[in-house]
Amino acid sequence: MDPLIVTQAINLVYAVSTLAVLALGLAVIFGLLGVLNIAHGEFIMIGAYCAYVTQSGRWPYLAAVPLTLIVCGVLGWAVEWIMIRPLYRRPFDTLVATWGLSLLLRKIAEAIFGLGFYSVNIPLPGTVHFLDTEYPIYRLLLIAVSLIIVIGLVIWYGGSRTGSRIRAMISNPELAQAQGISVRRLAAGTFIVGTCLAGLGGVMLAPLIPVQPFMGLDYVLRAFFVLIVGGLGSAAGLLSGAAVIGGVDSVVSATSSATDGYFAVLVLSILFLWLRPRGIVAHS
Amino acid sequence: MSIRKQGPTRRTLLGAAAAGAAFGTMPGLIRPATAANEFKIGLFIALSGPASLFGPTQRACADLATEEINKAGGIMGRQIKLIPTDAGGPPAETTKSAIRLMLEENVDVFVGSHDSATREALVGTIKGKVPYVYTPVYEGGECSFNTYVTADTPEQQIRPSLTWMMKDKGAKSIYMIGDDYVWPRKCNEQAKKYIAESGGKVAAEEYVPFGAPNKFEEVVTRIKSAKPDAVLITLVGADNVNFNRTFAGFGLDKDIARLSLLLEENTLHGVGADSSKNLYSCMSYYENAPSAAAKKFKADYVAKFGDKAPQLGRIGADCYEGVYCASTLVTKAGGTDAKKCMAASEGITFPTASGDVTMHGRHVDKTMFLADCNGTEFNIIKTFADIKSGDECKPD
Repeated sequence: MDPLIVTQAINLVYAVSTLAVLALGLAVIFGLLGVLNIAHGEFIMIGAYCAYVTQSGRWPYLAAVPLTLIVCGVLGWAVEWIMIRPLYRRPFDTLVATWGLSLLLRKIAEAIFGLGFYSVNIPLPGTVHFLDTEYPIYRLLLIAVSLIIVIGLVIWYGGSRTGSRIRAMISNPELAQAQGISVRRLAAGTFIVGTCLAGLGGVMLAPLIPVQPFMGLDYVLRAFFVLIVGGLGSAAGLLSGAAVIGGVDSVVSATSSATDGYFAVLVLSILFLWLRPRGIVAHS
Repeated sequence: MSIRKQGPTRRTLLGAAAAGAAFGTMPGLIRPATAANEFKIGLFIALSGPASLFGPTQRACADLATEEINKAGGIMGRQIKLIPTDAGGPPAETTKSAIRLMLEENVDVFVGSHDSATREALVGTIKGKVPYVYTPVYEGGECSFNTYVTADTPEQQIRPSLTWMMKDKGAKSIYMIGDDYVWPRKCNEQAKKYIAESGGKVAAEEYVPFGAPNKFEEVVTRIKSAKPDAVLITLVGADNVNFNRTFAGFGLDKDIARLSLLLEENTLHGVGADSSKNLYSCMSYYENAPSAAAKKFKADYVAKFGDKAPQLGRIGADCYEGVYCASTLVTKAGGTDAKKCMAASEGITFPTASGDVTMHGRHVDKTMFLADCNGTEFNIIKTFADIKSGDECKPD
């Protein structure tokens, strides 16, 4: 087959799978807790800075993973405790509060690292011959890791005890509490998982993009589009949203231009908000 | 030049916040008596937004020029006072600040280091009432009344570097990729002329939305299949970094040369050593430009701000020449009268970070440097001495 078409096809898979993993943290927090976390992009940024810190400390790249889990976990715990807990069931208030949080986190990053760009070396540089074309190894690896994370989380949520407790909490918090489920701890845990997933997304993407305090803005918007189109509260929603947003953007960018690709994403998001506000997979 | 990237949701909220801030500063009508004799320069630099990574350097370089001029007696005996003002947001916000600076602060001169969209908005707002010096790197053609340009022009920046790329490096087909706004489009228009002159051809011309969260896998794949000899890049800031990292990630850096028109020290740090092979840049200033003046400028800069000073680069160092241009212009004109300034501008000579320049037709002739990237540092491989701006405006 024409290597151009093959490469663009892999680009499409890459776009969809990375988008799914970047939107995953937001999907957990927004979809399960109803908290619109505008600071999602900033947790991605923190993950990326963790990757940079790991590199400048001359540690192996994978050391960024535990570092990010600690930093984003502790931050997520503190934020949930101080800011989110009093605001559950007040979606607009959480939106404003987390918007303030995003400004604060960006300023903290600026105070520590400055406004300059940092680059993180690609842990696995070079390209590999794959399906009749040369494709960067690291991007292929990202596709695999993204799929493993998303599918792993979906299976765990569907099959584990904690998963069923979370579902109980969402459908009826009072009844869940009466059943002896600590709703408060469970909600905090869910929030922390969301921020850690965002951080992991940042670690994964850091070698491919400029690391700077504003980088989160790029991803939070796309992650929201994914949830708007796909619908909240289910894995099918997340995946279909990522497939539509990432797919349309990638296909139109490949066949026409990046401007048309972005235009198509915006039009599609507006159409969904207008005609099908609950997304492709509407949650009951 | 410039980078501006804000989510639409934030923009509206930021607009409201900015309006609130503007109200907050309204009661500035009572001014201290001692300030009456100061010479006020409204300095438009990026204090917010992603372009604000240039802000500290812009401010520091303008401060250095101000200190030097004030030590030597100021402008016609008046001490300069800089009023740094944000030009990193949407142009409409910057023009509001310009009106405030003219009405409330009575600024004597404007100096601006920001993108071309903002420049066009500012020219329409200032309307020649106050002399306005524009400094960074631009697409040419600015001849508005009472406006003075020290920026690198296409004739200075693109013609020599692109001609070198085609004649000396043997590049025949050029792929153009840029952000979608006035600077890249007009630069590419000029570049097409130079490519035709050298007998080359344009492989393709492509733009990505300015301020959108761009990714470049699809663009790079298209470039790979077009097989050009070189890519002319008019992307700015994070887009420039992102593109170059993706380009090298796909292994295209080995065979295809890249010439970027807004690649300075900060951006190169982002591109990183693993992605900067076969990447070229052309500007009138680099931190390690091989001129005596550039070395002295850097020494003075480090002496004033220490080792932790903001990273030097063309975007920032341009503010140094901007303040000097304003000072020299007003001193020669004997004041800020627009007609007198217009007449006085012809032939003034003033210092820049890389040596003295002379103004002709409200633009400057200058020496340009061509650099290739050695890791995250520039290596000057060629000097183009005393290049005419090619944009001289007629006397009004």
